[in-house]
Amino acid sequence: MLGSIAALSRLNSLLSRISLWLAGSGLVAMTIIVFAQVFMRYVMNDSLLWVEPVAILLMSWFIFLGSAVGVHESFHMGFDVLLFFLPEGAGTWLRALSDLAVLTFSIGMAVYGWQLMERTWDSTLPVIRLPGGFSYMPLFVGGVLMTLFVLEHLLNRLSGRKAEAEPDAEDILMTEA
Amino acid sequence: AECEITLRSSDTHPDGYPTVEGVKAMAAEVKEKTEGRICIEVFPSSQLGEEKDTIEQTQFGVIDMVRASFGSFNDIVPITQTLSLPYLYTSPEHQHAVMDGPIGEEIAAAFEEKDLIALAYYDGGARNFYNSQKPIQTVEDLKGMKFRVMQNDVFVDMMSALGANATPMPYGEVYSSIQTGVIDGAENNFPSYDSSGHAEVAKYFTLDQHLMVPELVAVSKTSWEKLSPEDQEIMRTAAKNSATIQRQLWAEQEKASEEKVIAAGAEVIRDVDKTAFIEAMAPVYEKYVTTPEAQDLVKRIRETQPAQ
Amino acid sequence: MEYLILFGVFTVLMLIGTPIAFCLGISSLATVGYMGLPPLVVFQRLSAGISVFTLMAIPFFIFAGDLMVRGGIAARIVAFAGSLIGHVRGGLGQVNIAASTLFGGISGSAVAEAAAVGGIMIPQMKERGYGADYAVNVTSMSALIALLLPPSHNMIIYSISGGGRISIADLFTAGIIPGLLLAAALSVTAYIVARKRGYPTEAFPGFARVGYYLLQSLPGMLLIAIIFGGVRSGVFTATESSCIAVIYAVLVTVLVYRSMSWRDFVHATQQAVRTTAMVLLIIGMAGAFGWLMAYLHVAQISLNWMQSVSDNPLVILLMINIVLLVLGTFMDMSPLIIITTPIFLPVVAAFGVDPVHFGVIMILNLGIGLNTPPLGPVQFVAAAVARISIWEAMRSVWPFYIAGLTVLMLVTYVPALSLWLPSVFK
Ligand code: NA
Ligand code: NA
Repeated sequence: MLGSIAALSRLNSLLSRISLWLAGSGLVAMTIIVFAQVFMRYVMNDSLLWVEPVAILLMSWFIFLGSAVGVHESFHMGFDVLLFFLPEGAGTWLRALSDLAVLTFSIGMAVYGWQLMERTWDSTLPVIRLPGGFSYMPLFVGGVLMTLFVLEHLLNRLSGRKAEAEPDAEDILMTEA
Repeated sequence: AECEITLRSSDTHPDGYPTVEGVKAMAAEVKEKTEGRICIEVFPSSQLGEEKDTIEQTQFGVIDMVRASFGSFNDIVPITQTLSLPYLYTSPEHQHAVMDGPIGEEIAAAFEEKDLIALAYYDGGARNFYNSQKPIQTVEDLKGMKFRVMQNDVFVDMMSALGANATPMPYGEVYSSIQTGVIDGAENNFPSYDSSGHAEVAKYFTLDQHLMVPELVAVSKTSWEKLSPEDQEIMRTAAKNSATIQRQLWAEQEKASEEKVIAAGAEVIRDVDKTAFIEAMAPVYEKYVTTPEAQDLVKRIRETQPAQ
Repeated sequence: MEYLILFGVFTVLMLIGTPIAFCLGISSLATVGYMGLPPLVVFQRLSAGISVFTLMAIPFFIFAGDLMVRGGIAARIVAFAGSLIGHVRGGLGQVNIAASTLFGGISGSAVAEAAAVGGIMIPQMKERGYGADYAVNVTSMSALIALLLPPSHNMIIYSISGGGRISIADLFTAGIIPGLLLAAALSVTAYIVARKRGYPTEAFPGFARVGYYLLQSLPGMLLIAIIFGGVRSGVFTATESSCIAVIYAVLVTVLVYRSMSWRDFVHATQQAVRTTAMVLLIIGMAGAFGWLMAYLHVAQISLNWMQSVSDNPLVILLMINIVLLVLGTFMDMSPLIIITTPIFLPVVAAFGVDPVHFGVIMILNLGIGLNTPPLGPVQFVAAAVARISIWEAMRSVWPFYIAGLTVLMLVTYVPALSLWLPSVFK
């Protein structure tokens, strides 16, 4: 049991690092192409038609990849005042319950993300002419990653270990918008 | 009596807009004929999502009905693209005759393959060019000008065929972009030209009627199959009747908006050499009317006589 | 029953510490499940909710802010403010507020501002004999100026939550006078408290130094002109100007200041991804939650209820302000904007309140909530930098709260403070 948690944990660290890099590259790529569009319109007097749909796809990718990283690193903002006042044992159980809810949602995200992809595959995205299903691919991939990440937290809690570093005040502060 | 069945219908336009009022008229008739058993509830103003989203929701059976422009169906039901081609219809009456005839039935079959039951075709009005620079009368006048168009392949190619630059941008940005000269103009129908305030910044309105894109009122196949054949018949009739009402409301609205923008100083250019515009569309038709079926469809539309 | 599930599940999950984004998503999923609707719709709304071009301004402004903090733009602005007004009573407190005002003109994040300005100012203030609590209070309250002055990504969130039809240029313009008013009110408060506590003043360094620091900070401050000038004149859209802000911040820090290393850049990018993903996931999830609220007519129901309580817009605005202040104590700003705008905006609109005016009220109100425990991220940052507890900071914050609440009341009941400036540009 503990061995397989450790294996999952190693896999997840790798996936999370890759996701963070991909998401960062997506943000940079989005900046560059939107700037290219501004440049073309104002300086070259011409419009790049593909920029808007491509930029939206990129944004979708880095949000879902970044959100999955957020599950791995536990940086999503929550309200854990109540947990503060509860005895530690109760807190662990409530956190496990919360993980279970997130797990359910993540599985739903993967399953229904896949279904949405399938059901919109034979429509077409305007201008870039890709199958419509492409717009739901980030949802599916994000769902799979979140499922793996939250599963690790849950298994860690159930096996009595402290899950991946709980967000301490400083971490939350620095990521808060 | 209480509603036994409530059908939720989405519209992106605000309350009071002819499409919203059209579906409400249908709702009133259905309610009356079913003695209050079936209620149709309209959610206006994109409350349930944009057209593309609510079409998907209707296909999936999440909501029951949708009113959307053929433009939003182009990438789902390809035949709608042929029916949205520029300068295809000579007048609104021509379009009504096409949609109410056998061609309308064929399209309904194409929608049904995508889990949508087409009940009525509404009038989407004629879209026209407007700009801040000069009165446009000929194709040459359009050369090199920048126009905002909807994010749709046909519309973008149409602009290139006319020698103008298509600039896709969010609708909300159009006003200030015309004002500051980022673009020269945009294109839309009279009511939107008025309500968007674009008439204030782009006073030359060329009545070229380049696009007449039909509007569809459709029911989700899932919801449809739950209705008895009698109720389905009531729905169909009510929808057909509502189309007549909607077209009437649309014409009135168009007239009122036209008078309003003219009074506010807009210059409407009616003397347009449409033949040259139509001829300039040859590459667009070549690109999008490729199959024998589509070619035949275009031919039959051109042969259809306008309704009286 | 549907309502109970939607709001009940949301509340329960929130209390057990589930991240807000998932509270929204899971409660929507539970409600859809109960009503027998296809669960697919929750995920469609989630995806559609973030596939909006205007939203792109949010990652860009956040990214630009992270680059400016890491690349030393903020530090140069603080130096300039210091040379300019350090000689006023309670000098460093005034410098803190002035720097927040200037930096607030290029950054939209109160937390980034508290970290950037507070990180530089608080240690200096402590060293020069100012109370740490005073330093924290000045920092955390003046950080809110960034929310009101353009750019402000929370205003973009508000515009989108209001259906995308509220002009971002008008919102940006409307925040300027309230932002400056807040700066003035805090400056007066800081002065009074400083006099009472006998805090020192700094020597005026002479106009040559002021000029030198101005020149140093000018490349950074030029962004004010690019962002506000661009958006207001309509030459750039909000999205375009936010993208230009990123490119510009990179150019200034790499080429002009030469203060940005590759490592710094990677850090700033990853930090921006984290913040952006967190904020935008909430927006996406709220897309599902908001869809259900529309489907269930929540706005209509709350309008009817409010109308039954009072038909006086002044009373309605007061009620909404109180509700927002309470919610703002417990919850974060962006999710609150996303959740409450679709409910409150139709209500106040029915009472004749301008949506742009209401946006400014909401941003300032929820901004104050960023400085109240238990969830007060701005105050947390400032206190963490000063190494004091929240409770120490809280003991002496009340004069600053009073200043903030006074400005909130003025902004609420004098619409012209928000609406006059946008009308000038029409
Ligand atoms: Na700002
Ligand atoms: Na708070």
